[in-house]
Amino acid sequence: MLVHIIEKELRDIVGSAKFAVNFSIGTALILLSFYTGAQNHRIAQEQHEAALAANVRQYEGVTDWMRVQSFRIFLPPQPVAALVNGVSNDIGRTVEVRGRGELRSQDSRYGDDPIFAMFRFLDLDFIVTVILTLFAVLFGYDAVNGEKERGTLRLTFANAVPRTVFITGKCAGTFLGLAVPLIIPFLLGALLLPVFGVPMSGPDWTALALVTGAGLLTMGAYLLLSVWVSARTERSSTSFLVLLSVWIMTVIVLPRLSAAGADLFVSVPSMDEVNSQKSRFMSQLWNEDRTKMNGFTPANKGDVQEVMKEFNRYMQTLADDREKRFNEFAGRLNEERANRQMEHRRLTQYLSCLSPAALFTLAASELAGTSLRLEEEYLAQAREYQKEYARFMKEKTGTNTGGFAMVFRMVTDDNAEKPKPINIAEVPAFRFVPPAAEAGLPPFTIFSGTIALYALLSFAGAYRAFRTYDVR
Amino acid sequence: MLATIIVHELKNILFSPKFSVTVAVASVLLLLSVVAGIGQYRAAAAQYETTTQLVQQEMREARGWMALTNKVLRRPDPMQIFVSGVANDVGRLSGVNAFQAVKLSHSTFSDDPVYAVFRFIDLSFIVAVVFSLLAVLFTYDAVNGEKERGTLQLTFANAVPRAQYILGKFAGAWLGLVLPLLVPMLLSLLLLAVTAVPMTAEEWGRTVLLFGGAVLYVTVFVALGILLSTLTPRSSASFLYALVLWVCAVFIVPRAGTTLAGHLVPVPTVAETEARRDAFAKDRWAQYEAQMQSRWKERNAPLEGMTKEEREAYRDEKMWEWMEQDDQDRKQVQTDIDEQARRLTEELRNRRMEQERLAFTLSRLSPASSFQLAAMNLAGTDIALKTRYEDALNGYRTLFNEYKEKKAKESGNSGGFRIEVNSDTGVKIDAGRERGVLDLTGMPQFTHPSPSAAETMRSAFIDLGLLGLFSLAAFAGAFVRFLRYDVR
Amino acid sequence: MSVHTMLEAVNLSKRYEDGALAVDDVSFSVRPGEIFAMLGGNGAGKTTTINIFLNFLEPTAGEARINGIAAHRAPLEAKRHVAFVSENVMLYPTFTAVQNLDYFARLGGKTQYTADDYRRVLLRVGLQEEAHHKKLKGFSKGMRQKCGIAIAILKDAPAILLDEPTSGLDPKSGFEFMQLLGSLRDEGKAVLMSTHDIFRAKETADTIGIMRQGRLVMQRSRAGLAGEDLERLYMEHMAGVHE
Ligand SMILES: Nc1ncnc2c1ncn2[C@@H]1O[C@H](COP(=O)(O)OP(=O)(O)OP(=O)(O)O)[C@@H](O)[C@H]1O
Ligand SMILES: [Mg+2]
Repeated sequence: MLVHIIEKELRDIVGSAKFAVNFSIGTALILLSFYTGAQNHRIAQEQHEAALAANVRQYEGVTDWMRVQSFRIFLPPQPVAALVNGVSNDIGRTVEVRGRGELRSQDSRYGDDPIFAMFRFLDLDFIVTVILTLFAVLFGYDAVNGEKERGTLRLTFANAVPRTVFITGKCAGTFLGLAVPLIIPFLLGALLLPVFGVPMSGPDWTALALVTGAGLLTMGAYLLLSVWVSARTERSSTSFLVLLSVWIMTVIVLPRLSAAGADLFVSVPSMDEVNSQKSRFMSQLWNEDRTKMNGFTPANKGDVQEVMKEFNRYMQTLADDREKRFNEFAGRLNEERANRQMEHRRLTQYLSCLSPAALFTLAASELAGTSLRLEEEYLAQAREYQKEYARFMKEKTGTNTGGFAMVFRMVTDDNAEKPKPINIAEVPAFRFVPPAAEAGLPPFTIFSGTIALYALLSFAGAYRAFRTYDVR
Repeated sequence: MLATIIVHELKNILFSPKFSVTVAVASVLLLLSVVAGIGQYRAAAAQYETTTQLVQQEMREARGWMALTNKVLRRPDPMQIFVSGVANDVGRLSGVNAFQAVKLSHSTFSDDPVYAVFRFIDLSFIVAVVFSLLAVLFTYDAVNGEKERGTLQLTFANAVPRAQYILGKFAGAWLGLVLPLLVPMLLSLLLLAVTAVPMTAEEWGRTVLLFGGAVLYVTVFVALGILLSTLTPRSSASFLYALVLWVCAVFIVPRAGTTLAGHLVPVPTVAETEARRDAFAKDRWAQYEAQMQSRWKERNAPLEGMTKEEREAYRDEKMWEWMEQDDQDRKQVQTDIDEQARRLTEELRNRRMEQERLAFTLSRLSPASSFQLAAMNLAGTDIALKTRYEDALNGYRTLFNEYKEKKAKESGNSGGFRIEVNSDTGVKIDAGRERGVLDLTGMPQFTHPSPSAAETMRSAFIDLGLLGLFSLAAFAGAFVRFLRYDVR
Repeated sequence: MSVHTMLEAVNLSKRYEDGALAVDDVSFSVRPGEIFAMLGGNGAGKTTTINIFLNFLEPTAGEARINGIAAHRAPLEAKRHVAFVSENVMLYPTFTAVQNLDYFARLGGKTQYTADDYRRVLLRVGLQEEAHHKKLKGFSKGMRQKCGIAIAILKDAPAILLDEPTSGLDPKSGFEFMQLLGSLRDEGKAVLMSTHDIFRAKETADTIGIMRQGRLVMQRSRAGLAGEDLERLYMEHMAGVHE
């Protein structure tokens, strides 16, 4: 019996004009999102390489490591991030490393090219949260009351059909009818990725598969919710309006209000405030050190080269000390802000949990490595890199003053040997290791588990509502 | 006759409980977004005030005139309440000093990416997404629905001219949808006045134009809905097409248009441009140094064979001239670097402009893009916001640096290090003397750029004009179709 | 041997939530091989009675039994023994006639039918062959009615409930349908039918009941009607002459 109902449901869906239209649009959009994802990745990769090359080129002809005052590193584009953008376009991609001091990422994609920020990109997150959920509503809103309006519900229940079997078959059939055909464009799109030269690794594939699964789950949640509403309303036009309102609220409005809502309860000190406190402290430290610098007396006044070396060493100790004190101070401020931010983020997430679509956004970005963790991870790795860079520079120059050092060149004879240019390739390379997918798995599981819970609740609701549904 | 039809249509819409509930919710949402926008604006304005003051203080406590760095913040604009545009994506502040090019950094979204996850909601977004949906939803069956219910036949059993009927339908539906849009918009104007948001007369004018644009935008979708209902015989089909049309217009075309333009006209990243600029700077400084070396050699040449006293006297005599000369050259280097940076930026901008032009052309296929572009233009939160500020900042940088130099000269203290190396006296290091606070009176103030009225109007009118054309075309289509519509 | 009853209403009453008493203490029974025709004006309570048999409605009092099983107590069990044709048969518009038949036959527990069976039964109810594989979307009301009847035949249940089954059928089809009903009766089905067609009812039915304002005001067998003018009788009952 259940099988017949599911089968009928599948046929009913697949044979309808609604399905033909939606399926072709869905397929086109999914393929388009994979295509633009692949293209965006290619362009981002090219830009990344161009930036790397230009960065290296600026040191051409430099003959003294002392002149390498800073070195820029860049966040490389990640393949899955092109499909699930998350915040990857909002956070800075460039970090200027000086060997010491605080690091700051800048040059976000959207900040660089606000044109893309206006409407944003067509990524999988958009496809799922906007398009698939709308499909779900479109196919589920008249699941029960539509059959009643068409009069087929009467005929169905003139047979010995248990209601539970009917509602289960209805839900399962509609879901399969929607989800299974959609797997085709997802698979096709995934196949496009290697064709377009997106280097997908094993974990990338797993992440993509899980994201797709979560997307279908989200669609399922909206579908079951729609079946529930349609089992609680007499007329399909009513259930459609109700569901559309729910859709607008959960897909468009609530997520966007969540961060602003969290503001009401948690206030995060602004970056400006923190920075200004830091820079005032820094200038205070400088002022103290200036007095000390004025008191610098070289041991051997005669040998200029020696004096410069000594001076740089002296500067180095001052800088070390300054850095220590500054780091303590800044660390405290940063931690305070980070704690507040954490609290704010958590609250935002709780608030957005009201919407299954928002949950998907969170879940997908966790697996794609484009969640808020991305920036933390990038900066953490950049800090590690800075240590390595500092070691290297110290080896080369004997000091690490964080880019502030005196370079002194003697006037030499023209016929003296020309200094050799440095080989910038010796600078240790920055290799960004994207946040491990395993680290994203627990939050992903929690978020998609909550979506599943929504789905289950909706099913239970539909089940209960249909038990007493008037089938006449 | 026409009045009867309009009133009937209006009643039909306004008295349907579903409509009133849905539209009431949308209106409340609209108002809510304005309330939230005012709150956000106030917070941003307060933050702006405190930070500006902190910056002032920081500057007064600076090491010295030469080390003086100004930080210019973008002032929050009350128009952001309605249209946040790219205001949260573009950097909020830039350092202004002699040794760095201006660069807007620290955007709201990069400072606190949690806001970027879902972004914000504003009036223009609600109009663009929610009201357009409502408009098509309440018109998709305007004609074919009546046919299905059999009322169309009954209507035309009377002596009703078709033109009047379709006109009445349109007018009724339009009024029904525009009223719930106008009421919260008028209320929000009231709210702005009551909460004393500082708005200039020009900004009030822009707001009114923005609201006019919103009405025009809804008109497009009303006309499109009616057109669809005359194109398809069954309302279930037009319902589907209406939704597809809505999704495409509101979500797909704008995104696809800009993305496609991004693919067709790639623009180098800021990082790459900056690296090119730095490469030039490094080269230029190296050149300067080489020049210095040979120059000092020349200058030292006459010293050969002088006594210590003679040398000293010669140096004292020439020192001022030499320093002037060196300083001149150093300035020239900085000018050259700035010039090169300007050229590179120009190049980048031209490329970007090309990309933007293509992106706009493509995305303007959708009335939703047109509306949003017009709204951003009117609110001054369009993509030109960034270049506008950068230009203003560059202008200000020149003024600021001139002021700084003048002050430095007056005070005779550079605030930087002075390291004197002399084969006779050895090394002398001066890290600047201790001083109190700097007196910043007379410092040039940054004037916040705002798009010129003419510029705004020109770009806004393109989009508003497009919206007008869209609605005219859609309505004309519906009109012509209906004249030959099979009412049975 | 007394033939047991297949469909039975025992003191059946139904009061709607709004207080309207739609069925008022109605009792009748239909045996296998018997056609029971319910006549009565609009709003007399015929559809309500049938709805109670199908457990679409709970009776306020009394019972509607199918094969001895009270419909509201064991609805699934009861509905195994009954097929139903509504006054306006609605089927899935995107399915063909055969697909609709197949689905509902399966719901009725009949999975063994072949394409040929569907063809035959559709021909038997008079649906032209070229329509068998057309989507229901374009069907006229009579064509849909025929499909509904075919579905009822396919279920092969001992009892058949029909609510104005001939509405929308052309005269020839109506005639053929009555013949069909006769043959079903001859196969031993118990048929309960509501109708407004007095003449056909008189021709085909074994028992005729007249309902008025929820009450079964007259119930007579074919023998009991011999020589009576049914139309006159009906009008008199409608006017309340016999009360
Ligand atoms: N859902 C309902 N709620 C309240 N009253 C109802 C409901 N359905 C039917 N009725 C009332 O019950 C009475 C019987 O209705 P029913 O549909 O059984 O009549 P019928 O004999 O089938 O009429 P027709 O010949 O027009 O089909 C009518 O007075 C009707 O108004
Ligand atoms: Mg009836």
